[in-house]
Order: sequence, then C-alpha cells, then structure tokens
Amino acid sequence: MTQYNIIGTRMPRVDSRAKVMGKAKFTADLKLPHMLVGKIKRSPYAHARIISIDASKALALPGVRSVVTGKDTEGVKWGVFAYTRDQQFLQTDKARYIGDEVAAVAAVDEDTAQKALDLIDVTYEELPAVYDPMAAMASETELIHAEYPNNINIHVNIDTGQVDENFAKAHYIREDTFTAPEESYFQAEPYAVVARFDSDDCLEVWCPNGGPHMKSKPLSNSFKIPLHKVKIRRIAIGGAFGGRSEICPADYICALLAKKTGCPVKIEFTREENTIATRQGHAMITTHRTGVDKEGRVLARETTCYMDGGAYSSTGPIATSVPFLSMEQAYRMGSVRYNGYRVYTNKPIRGMIRTHGRGFACGLDTQLDMIAEHLGIDPVEMRLRNSRQPGEYTSTRSLVGSCAMDETIQKAAEKSGWTEKWGKLPPFHGIGIGTNSVQTGFPMGIRGGSQSFIKFNEDGEATVMSGVVDNGQGNENMLVQIAAEELGLLPEDIHLVNADTETTSSDPGSYSQVSTFVGGQAVKNAAANCKAKLFEVASKILKVPADTLAAKNRMIYVQDDPEKCVPIKKVVRVALTNFISVNAEGGYWPKVDMKREWVSNPYGQMCEAFSFGTTIIEVKVDPETGQVTVLNCVACQDVGKALNPLVLEGQFEGSVAMGGQGGMLTEYHEWREGRCLNPTMLDYKLPLACDMPPIHNIIVESIEPKGPYGAKEAAMSIAMSAAQAYAAAVSNAVGVYMDSFPVTPDKILAAIKKKK
Amino acid sequence: MEKIDLTLNINHKPVEVRISPNDTLLEVLRDHLDLTGSKESCGEGVCGSCTVQLDGKPVRSCLTLALEAEGATIRTVEGLADGDTLSPLQESFVNHGAVQCGFCTPGMLMTADALLKENPDPDEDTIRKALSGNICRCTGYAKIVEAVAHAAHPQDQCPDCASGLKSCCKAKE
Repeated sequence: MTQYNIIGTRMPRVDSRAKVMGKAKFTADLKLPHMLVGKIKRSPYAHARIISIDASKALALPGVRSVVTGKDTEGVKWGVFAYTRDQQFLQTDKARYIGDEVAAVAAVDEDTAQKALDLIDVTYEELPAVYDPMAAMASETELIHAEYPNNINIHVNIDTGQVDENFAKAHYIREDTFTAPEESYFQAEPYAVVARFDSDDCLEVWCPNGGPHMKSKPLSNSFKIPLHKVKIRRIAIGGAFGGRSEICPADYICALLAKKTGCPVKIEFTREENTIATRQGHAMITTHRTGVDKEGRVLARETTCYMDGGAYSSTGPIATSVPFLSMEQAYRMGSVRYNGYRVYTNKPIRGMIRTHGRGFACGLDTQLDMIAEHLGIDPVEMRLRNSRQPGEYTSTRSLVGSCAMDETIQKAAEKSGWTEKWGKLPPFHGIGIGTNSVQTGFPMGIRGGSQSFIKFNEDGEATVMSGVVDNGQGNENMLVQIAAEELGLLPEDIHLVNADTETTSSDPGSYSQVSTFVGGQAVKNAAANCKAKLFEVASKILKVPADTLAAKNRMIYVQDDPEKCVPIKKVVRVALTNFISVNAEGGYWPKVDMKREWVSNPYGQMCEAFSFGTTIIEVKVDPETGQVTVLNCVACQDVGKALNPLVLEGQFEGSVAMGGQGGMLTEYHEWREGRCLNPTMLDYKLPLACDMPPIHNIIVESIEPKGPYGAKEAAMSIAMSAAQAYAAAVSNAVGVYMDSFPVTPDKILAAIKKKK
Repeated sequence: MEKIDLTLNINHKPVEVRISPNDTLLEVLRDHLDLTGSKESCGEGVCGSCTVQLDGKPVRSCLTLALEAEGATIRTVEGLADGDTLSPLQESFVNHGAVQCGFCTPGMLMTADALLKENPDPDEDTIRKALSGNICRCTGYAKIVEAVAHAAHPQDQCPDCASGLKSCCKAKE
C-alpha cells in the first residue's frame, strides 16, 4: 500500500483552534458599519390569497429604512430546476404555508424592525388547505399551484422491465406499508445572512451555505447582475446536513433590503424560523411489495412512495429519487418498479436531509427481516444474499466500482457478537442490523466539476484556492491535508482560500457527498501540476532528471538518494528569480452520464463511486414505559480510504446520533392544521450526551480507484443504515415489526399490547 | 427604556457598559462588547451554546440579565486560553476531534471547564450528565466526552492524547 505522510493520519483539524478560542466568526457574529437589522413578515395562514399589503404605518415608524413586498421582486421565482421554478421570494398572489414570506423590513435595530413588522397590514382571504399528501391528491379545493393537477409536484417512475414476470416466478411475496413523519435539521447555528452592495454595485453576501456557487447563480439571475458581481464570502458554518444548499428567500430579501437602503443588512432567524422557513425532511408513506426465491434472493420489487413535499418544489425531483437510489445501490433486485410521488401540501418546504427517507429505507430493511423470518434465514445472511457486489450495475444502470458491502456486514456482525446474540437475547432485549449505500455525487451539469488554483509565496508556503465549503464536517482540513501531502509541505504551510465566489472557481459545493471526491481531487490535481513545475526547477539545481524526484517535509529530494535534496523554499525563490511560474491549476470533472435526469431519464451512470455501510444496534426496551435504552452500536462503512480517521470517526458518531438515536427514537414534528407544534429545541427532542450509546467505529477501505487516494463518500451510509438498525433492534426486542417511525414509546407500548 | 451604566468583571477585566435593564448578558457580551464566542442557538435556555461562567458556575447567558451579573466574576470562552496558549481542555478538544462545526463548542467548553474545576476526575457517566444541557448536532458527543475525560488525565493508550498542537501530522514525525 502507498505510504503517505499526512493522508491517513489522525491530524487535528486546522479550523478547530479558532473555534475553541471563540474566534471563529459565524454569520451572526458579523458587524459592518451602518448595518441595519432585517426581519421577515410571514403568513399566519396555511393557504390564503393576499388581497392587499399596506406598509404605510410601518414606513412611518422612526428608524424604519425600508419595507419590501412581492411588488419589489419583479416576480422572480426560484426552483432548483427550470421545470420547478414555483417559489417567489416574497409572495404576491397567495401564501401557501404558515411561514411563507410576504414582506420584510430593514430598521436601525431589532426592536424597531419587530415593531414595523406588526405595523404592516396584510389582508388575506383564507383558502381551504391540505395537510397530508393523500388528502392533497384527492382534494377538489383550489390547487396549491394551479399548474399541478391533484397537487402532484413530481412523479418519478423507474421500471427495469420484467417486474411482473419475476413476481410470477417468486416463491414468496409480501407487501407492507411504512410511514414516517417530517424531521428537521436543527443545525446548531440558526440561519443568518448579511448582505451589502459595495461601491462598484457588487453584491457581497455572508451566509451558511452548502456551496457558495450554488447561491451566487440564483442571486445573479434574480438581480440581473453578472456572476462576477455576486461575491459569496467564506464564513464559519454551524452545520447544514443538506438544508443549506439552495438559496433561501432570506438571502434574496436581505440583498434586496441592502439595495433599497444602501446599507448592509443582517437577518438572523429565530430558532422557530430555522425550523419552519428553511427546509425539513419529507414525511413519507411507502409500500414495498417484494418477491423472493426460496433462498431469499429478491427477484422483483415494486415500491410506491408518497412524499409530503410541503408548499414548494425545492429539491423535489432529487428528494423523490434518493431514498430509492440508496436502496437500489445497497441491494440487488432482479427487477424493480418504483413510483415516487412528491405531493404539495400547505406545510413548510421539504428538501434534502441527511437521513433521506428513514421510513422508506427502514421499510425496505424491515421487510427483508420479515421475509428472512418467514424463510428461516438469519438477517445477516439475508443481507449477504442480496448485497451489492463490486463490478455490478444498479437497477438504474450505474456501474458500481469499489464495493466492500459484504465486508461491512461481516465485520459489523462479528464486532457486535451477532451470532451469539441473535435469537438468544432475553425478553425485551433486541439486536438489529441496517445497511445502506450512498452516492458520491449526482450529475450536476455545469456545476458538477471543481477547479483549484495554487500559488507559491517566496517563503515556500502555498496558497490553495478551492470552491469547496466546510459546513462543519472538516472539508477545509481535508483540502489542507491533500495539498500538503501532494506538495511535500506541512499543513501549517498551506493557506486555504475557499468557498468565496470572487476568488474561487466553480464547484458543486458540499452537496451530494462530493466534496472530497471532486473538490479534493481538484486540489490534488492542481498540487500535482505545481509539483511538476517545482521538480523541473529542482532538477536543474540538483542536476538530476525531474522524474527521479519526490517531495516531503518541505524538501525536494532524489528518491534513491534522499540525502541529495533542496528545500522547497529555495526552489520557489530560484523559480521567482528566473521568472519561472511554479503556480498551477487543476480540476476534476466526474465522469457521469450527463443525460441522466431525475424525472425524464432516471437511468445511466449516477456518480463514479458508491459507499456502503452497516450499523448494528442492541437495545433494551422497558415493557412498562416503552422507553428504549441503547446498549451498543457498531458502525461500519466502506469509505474507500480514510483520509483522516479522527475526523471520520466523528462523522460516524454524529451520523449515529442524527440518523439513529434522534431519527428513529425521538425526532419528529407534530402539527395542528399546518402549524408546527414543536419548532423549538425545547419541544423537538434532540439526542443529548447522556442518551448516546457506546459507538464502535469500523472503517473499511476498499480503495476506490477513481477517488483521491482511494476515498469516496464517508459517513452518510452510517446515518442511513443507523436508522434501519435502530428500527430493527426495537422490532426484535418487542417481537413486532415496527412500521411507523420513529419508534416512540407510545408505538412500542401499542405493539407490545397488540402482541399480547 | 432608561439606560443604565454598569461595570462588569469579564475575563479578569472590569468593563463599563451602558445597557437597557432588559438586556441579557448574552446580548451585552455579543452586541456591546463584541465577545461573539458565546453563541445564541435556541434563545430559550435549552441548548447551552451561550454558556458562560458566573463565579465559576456555568449559566445560560441568554436567560441571565446583564444586571444579574453585576459584581460577579464572568468568564467567557475568550477567557479560557492564556494569550495564545490554549488551556488543557481546549487543547484536548482540538486533539480529540471534539470540534466539528464549532457552534456549540464555546458553551461545551465552559460547561466542561466548570465541571473539571469542581471534579477534577469525573467518570464518563458524570461527564455525560454534566454535558447534557449542551446540545451538539454534529459529533454524537463521543469525542467531546473523550476530550473532557482525557483533558485532565491524558491516556497512554489514546492515539489522540499524545499529540500536541504543534505535531499536527503525527505520522510524519
């Protein structure tokens, strides 16, 4: 195996020193001269026509600098795809959920802005509203969006053919339905945005984001200014988990207020706004019908999923597909028919979330356990019989390269003591397994590739420019590690300039798990090009051919004679003195099928690599209270190559917390007619330090040939498989297959009662 | 509302501020004094991101009026390090990978620092209970708990205790 100096080490993250000192600046920490406070007035109705908006009283209030409404937006609409542009940043005709943006103010301070909001007089005509996808499809009242019959926003249909024929051949068929409610991100940092127009009419924006270039383009479109005039700046980000990739109406509103007032404006969301007015995870009703042969191998599957999409499209086509894709990657299916319906309702907007489709995924895994029990097969064996193998094509025709799915199942089973425990645990004590597979990227068209530029300074240190953003997962450290490894420098010699649209080239962002694979690889390639230039200069100094050289510890040396060496700093200075450039660029464009489209053509190469994960959970259930105590967790994933095991373990552990402990035991939203009843941290139950079980991390390295150093997506497969393992363990403990998620004490007690 | 002049003792320095009586300590720290290390995440005393120490005890600065802090010794995350030298707890957080997005980190550190002052040798259960008023969405708490446990008592068998900040690429050495 290749020996690296920095890759693969447990190097502490470069950004953590500023964070432990309280020096790292997040958006809400920013203060600019003459900055105003922006606030958004939101609809109190789930579905209502806007008759009129009178802002005269608000404008008359001393300290108020501007009030904007839909009339000021020129009807600009947002949607991820050209065919999903259904959301205005400020509504003009009607509000479609409680929290929809109808007006905004900029004032000298928060109290004034708040008072001004109350003085804006909006007259509504309330309309009948729908709150669940089945009712929305059947509704005969006014459509949420006139152009979408039956309120069906997106329909994804995948059919590999041979489904009915293979069902006819099946030894055993069963059909089950699984449900899950909405969930929320609860990033530690509430959403915030600061915007200003500078003296050259350039728009400068700071906000948490999943990719600065994904924010700059819609702002450029909306304000009809060229892309080079939209400068999204790098800022510390307090978590994203899929919820901060798209433009947020607040970004546009903040910029609009800045434009109107000529002053910088800051909008800080309350915790409630962060829950209601960003994105949520979809509620889902999923039916799996599966036919297997005598050995339990899946011959045919038909899956139908109804997703509550809320009021607007958001990432609808993607969100309607990803839960299915994750399962078709993890498990072989002889043939499959999938119908995913994303349905508009008068509820907050749903988008991507880390445990995408917990009810969907858990349903499929739970059903495998049901079939295994019917056939007398151990759940671990059941998974091994259906698991994805390297070199295969998925049902939607993606070639799977590196794949150590079986190894993750076997290692997790061994570490958990599965053989000794399965079927042998005392009453109300259970063990369960979940597996999953996640994409390393999506086809993203023009923004699918990343480019990096590296320049050397005369002191021998390097400035690395990359569009990759860090949401908290350690992307910045990843880039520094790669650059230092490749250039033969130490991490402290690398100065990173990233996530800034003025200085960095286009990049897909921290989106679709692609930062390391694409953005990291771009930095690796740029560094390799830099190094080649350095070696040319060094070869003249050392009087040896360039291809005999290597770089490490700030030195360039002859590989077969390491004593013969020259400091990189000297090479750079010689190059500068002789007018030789040692700066370089490099990029990476993933080879995916660009004709693949979520709705019109869901076939072809999805991404270059897939990760595979297995989680096993052991629980104890209190039959009197329905409370679950999690005794043990084994999290095992094929990550290709662990670039930094310290960072990776943290990602695994966080994934177990969000996907399993929170996602399957305590986290869900409750509603009353479109009003979320638990939007705050007091009411939405997030896992605490005292709740978490011991977590045993197992990193499997399959060395993906196309990934940087063999790396691919890391830890999302744990978030997804953890949800399934939690559900399976509780099902095993109570002896009833749980089909409604999360598995809260009331549902557990009902299951125990029903069994009796 | 009539403004009040107040002297607060923050990180061993007397600081004069002119505040409204309803200003929270968090607002005064962040908005008046630019001590933005303390964060607002929930604003209702649940998440612990705004935790500071008053006379050594961890308190929620979002629920504490600045007026209540008069006469007390206030310590914020900015006061943990000695100049550029991190406290052993801060260093342990860095070395054990206890920091991800970092938004909860200041509050986490202030709670943990207070715990270690009161109980220099807490077991894992004690640490988990002490940190249960601080919500972290990224880490699953495992590395935070380890960082607190090993801060006062570095472990020979821990691969992350041995590393100092300067030797950030250990394998190279």
